[in-house]
Amino acid sequence: MKKGLRWKLILTLGIVGLALFLAYPPGKKINRGLDLRGGIHLVLQVITDDAINIDTDEEINRLRDQFQKKNLTSTSIVKGRIGQITIQGTTPDQEGAVRDLLDENFRNWDYVFVGATATLTMKSEVQMYLRDQAVNQALETIRNRVDQIGVAEPTIQRQGLAGDRIILELPGVDNPERVKNLIKTTAVLEWKLVKAGPAADEQTLLASVGGTVPEDAQVVKGDPKRTSGGFYLVERVATVTGKDLRVVRRATDEWNSPAVSFSLNPEGGRRFERVTGENIGKQIAILLDDKVISSPTVEDVIPATSGGIIRGRFTIDEAEDLVVLLRAGALPAGIKYLEERTVGPSLGADSIRKGLSAGVAAVILVMAFMVIYYRLAGVNAITALILNMVLLFGALAYFRAALTLPGIAGIILTIGMAVDANVLIFERIREELLAGKSILNSIATGFSRAFSAIFDSNLTTIISAIFLFQFGTGPVKGYAVTLIIGISASMFTAVFVSRLIFDLTVAGKKRKEKMSI
Amino acid sequence: MIQIFKKTNIDFMKYKFIAFGVSGAIIVAGLANIFFGKGLKPGVDFSGGTLIRVLFKSPLPVSDVRQALTEQGLGNSIIQEVEKAQREYIIRTAGLSAGDIQADQDLEAHAILANRIIETLKNAEDKAAVERGLLDFNNAGVKEIAAVLQPAYPDEAASLAERIINFRVEKGIIEDFGILREAGISDEVISVLKDRTFLGSLTVLSRDTVGPQVGKDLRRKATQATVWALLGMLVYIAARFKLAYGVAAILTLTHDVLFTLSVFSFTNREVNLPVIAAVLTIVGYSINDTIVIFDRVRDNIKLMRKSPFEGILNASINQTLSRTVITSGTVFLTVIALYLFGGQVINDFAFTMLIGVITGTYSTIYQSCPIVYFWQKIFGTGRRVRR
Repeated sequence: MKKGLRWKLILTLGIVGLALFLAYPPGKKINRGLDLRGGIHLVLQVITDDAINIDTDEEINRLRDQFQKKNLTSTSIVKGRIGQITIQGTTPDQEGAVRDLLDENFRNWDYVFVGATATLTMKSEVQMYLRDQAVNQALETIRNRVDQIGVAEPTIQRQGLAGDRIILELPGVDNPERVKNLIKTTAVLEWKLVKAGPAADEQTLLASVGGTVPEDAQVVKGDPKRTSGGFYLVERVATVTGKDLRVVRRATDEWNSPAVSFSLNPEGGRRFERVTGENIGKQIAILLDDKVISSPTVEDVIPATSGGIIRGRFTIDEAEDLVVLLRAGALPAGIKYLEERTVGPSLGADSIRKGLSAGVAAVILVMAFMVIYYRLAGVNAITALILNMVLLFGALAYFRAALTLPGIAGIILTIGMAVDANVLIFERIREELLAGKSILNSIATGFSRAFSAIFDSNLTTIISAIFLFQFGTGPVKGYAVTLIIGISASMFTAVFVSRLIFDLTVAGKKRKEKMSI
Repeated sequence: MIQIFKKTNIDFMKYKFIAFGVSGAIIVAGLANIFFGKGLKPGVDFSGGTLIRVLFKSPLPVSDVRQALTEQGLGNSIIQEVEKAQREYIIRTAGLSAGDIQADQDLEAHAILANRIIETLKNAEDKAAVERGLLDFNNAGVKEIAAVLQPAYPDEAASLAERIINFRVEKGIIEDFGILREAGISDEVISVLKDRTFLGSLTVLSRDTVGPQVGKDLRRKATQATVWALLGMLVYIAARFKLAYGVAAILTLTHDVLFTLSVFSFTNREVNLPVIAAVLTIVGYSINDTIVIFDRVRDNIKLMRKSPFEGILNASINQTLSRTVITSGTVFLTVIALYLFGGQVINDFAFTMLIGVITGTYSTIYQSCPIVYFWQKIFGTGRRVRR
């Protein structure tokens, strides 16, 4: 054997061996896409306006504070459009002082004065930063929640670098509705002292405190599922919040109903101890996302280290979900779903079965055709085709690309298209043979002259597949990937390996009169 | 050797005007149909909405399904019977009545509607069984089944449950507990299941809800991907061959895309993501063919210096004819396999490919070469091609 040939053979065997090693056994090594294994695909949008609003609220509080401290007058400081604050009723002689204050302490805001009104606008880079942070935090929180639920191999990623969308792929989830709700809940938990209530409606509630809502209080509703409903008047400032929690567990209360037990970090614990000590006999409301889930009466001071339990007429699942939410933390902004796709495992199994039978049928048809038409050379093409499949699966395993149903279609199409390179070469060889050239010569010219067509045509196909990949979501991406890999692999197998096989067999024999092609 | 064609010498270029006429007529009719007639039917992917695929335990005529939905005010849902006769259906929620929902909660509303459809289709026995506190076996997960088996089989509950669920996944839906014996489940275990669970009348195979925003995005992206792919090829071919060939190639591809969409507009099929994937594949496949012929033209221009350009084009088509037919043949075989055996989920894709393979092959011969010819005649001076 010539030295060049030996090296080519070793290279080929090495690559094929590597692909086999990577892909075997395919059931374990090849990552199945959601559409084949079953699961949920969710696209959700973080309502980043929320983050801007929260920050604006905080800044308004700070402004009010500072105005008071510096004895500045204003009739109102309120939120305008998104990312805007309007200060009304400043006096002309104080304009300079207000400007100084804003320049010094509110550098994130641009402002304009029109008469007695100042309009503050959050700088766009600050807005961008806050929005970006909100999406990142939401991503982190959702990841925590998914981990807590115990989904195996979830994919959670941001769509685009600066987008406000998050894509979630959760394989093999039994109860999609529950998971969806779990992810969507904002989960801000607060303990707030009750000033009045519960009352059946707002008027009755306010009548007990003189008709209007006091500065430091707010009206909240009872969650109809967890309490007997109605309205509560609670303190605006929370005693402790979900951020103060340290350990959260599912527990049962003294009547053996599902509940959630918690303990607090030292700082939260001290506050809890002080507030409970000062308010024995009063109610303290536990709010989840601004709805009261229970309002126990403080019977005794609760020591900083002892923690407590949350009751709320939970089922076991609901208590478990609350634990997940509290452990993972609250979302920094609301989210909404843009797209949900659920595939049951049965459909996936069915798709694999059908994809396999279509694939087998395609392989048999194409192989039969090649052997009948090209004889021994057809066997050569088939060998190249089989190696092509091996390389394709090896690459899929190596890149951890998910095999989807359209991906299977891509593989089947590759079978049809990959033999094109062989056909081009064989037809050229035939032409040369018919023109009376020797076998060796025909093979050499056939390969070299067909190459430009093979290269150009495959490259353009890859160009279209790349754009498909760019555009695609899940399954379609899987399709583009298999197409790109399949076509690239076919250039190697149909050109390099096929040539090698010819060199090893036909060309090796010195005087062969007829070539089987 | 077997040869499909002996040396051929067909004057393909002679039919260029007929071909232009035929293609033009079909595309004009198709575009008229798309813009002024029925239009293309956008699937859930592009128009938003919910698509539910359900499998019933026992056959249920489509009229019954429709009636059940109509009674609940869901009569305008689109119901399509698939695969297993009278047992498997695809139901698509129709436009929402404005009274039901606030505009910004579109997706939520579709999801709620889907839940209502599923609830409606469950029969009275299911509801009674749930009332009695039984678990729906046909929709339960491994954990739930394990919990049912836990008291009687504390050690094996998890592995038993997994085996049972795997078997159910293979079957899709279980009609009779007795069939579990096939999976090697003992009669004792089956009797525990019979006591604590019931066989629900339907299972949801899949469910897609797409919000209007995503639908709009996808439409835009699909158009962009197609246009960019075409431009990318124009640049590549113009660089490797000559501008005339690049222009001819993308005009041919545009022809293929429009032709396929035209044929599509006359069928009753919906345009969804896989269909767009198929269209882009056709673009990639048809260009393959075109380039093989152009490559021959590139060669022949050097070999046949004295011949008229039309003759060179004809010769090139003839010389590559057997390759064109064989490759289209093998691709056609694989697409047919997909179409016949690939199942319903992939059927639209396979159908689109089927049209595309035929169009792509035809257009290479009858569109791309004549376009190069006319371009050269109008703009061309030299016949040299860069190599």
